[in-house]
Amino acid sequence: VTVRIGVVIFPGSNRDIDAVNAVEVAGGEAVRLWHEQASLDGVDAVILPGGFAYGDYLRAGVIARFSPVMRGVSAFAADGGHVLGICNGFQVLAEAGLVPGVLMRNRGLRFVAREVHVRPERLDTPFTRAIGARRPLRLPVAHGEGCWYADSATAEQVERDGQVLFRYAHEDGTVAGGEEDRANPNGSLRAVAGVSNAAGNVAGLMPHPETAVEGVLGSDDGLGIIRSLVESARERVSRGRPALVGAR
Amino acid sequence: VSGVRVGRRIELTVDADSAAAARAVVERLAGDLFSNPLIEQASVEGPA
Repeated sequence: VTVRIGVVIFPGSNRDIDAVNAVEVAGGEAVRLWHEQASLDGVDAVILPGGFAYGDYLRAGVIARFSPVMRGVSAFAADGGHVLGICNGFQVLAEAGLVPGVLMRNRGLRFVAREVHVRPERLDTPFTRAIGARRPLRLPVAHGEGCWYADSATAEQVERDGQVLFRYAHEDGTVAGGEEDRANPNGSLRAVAGVSNAAGNVAGLMPHPETAVEGVLGSDDGLGIIRSLVESARERVSRGRPALVGAR
Repeated sequence: VSGVRVGRRIELTVDADSAAAARAVVERLAGDLFSNPLIEQASVEGPA
């Protein structure tokens, strides 16, 4: 069965080609979705890629949230479809209220582009099921607004309900500290690098698994995440493709 | 000096039937677009 994974392209997306490549390496078929289309062309899962959607001038992700394609993505998510937002895609999902919290300016005030280690906190989710062993993953980050924050009630609830999928960590797997710890590249609260919604079918993460899917890229530690999404989408297909969702 | 905060001021010209209607438009923009209520506060000034 061919699994079709939509990769949304906003004006200013710049990791969309990496996402397309990652989907293909993971055994899926990538379908490019333009921001002006509210229909998702019947895809089986969606990736919102990295970049600077609409320039991110006002606030990262806020304009993209109001784009036609996000109406389709919201309807798809409400129907239980799997949506993965990476970096700018995470910011868009947070602005849309599809994942909890907000991505603030990095605590160090600088754009950070380097490799970090993230520790998967759950191996049983649609986004982590194919990772295999619980070991730190070496993934690149490249962002200026990646400091995850939520008020204490929300943060507690997210922890309690197991919605934290990834945390920044040291190479040995110990969780990173606050902004003073270089292992936490942006000062994220509780070293959160990736979270899901309460239902578990929408997730956002700041590091870039899609640019770490082949040895030639320096790391293939991200492949398990992309493969998880493809597997989850395949399962959804095997249950029967639902009627096209999303407003026309 | 301590407790420095930097804000953003946005001036809008709105075509509306009444000041109240204009204010409603601006308040919606302030809450949904110009600020993220999780981390920011917005207040609207203008014709009453």
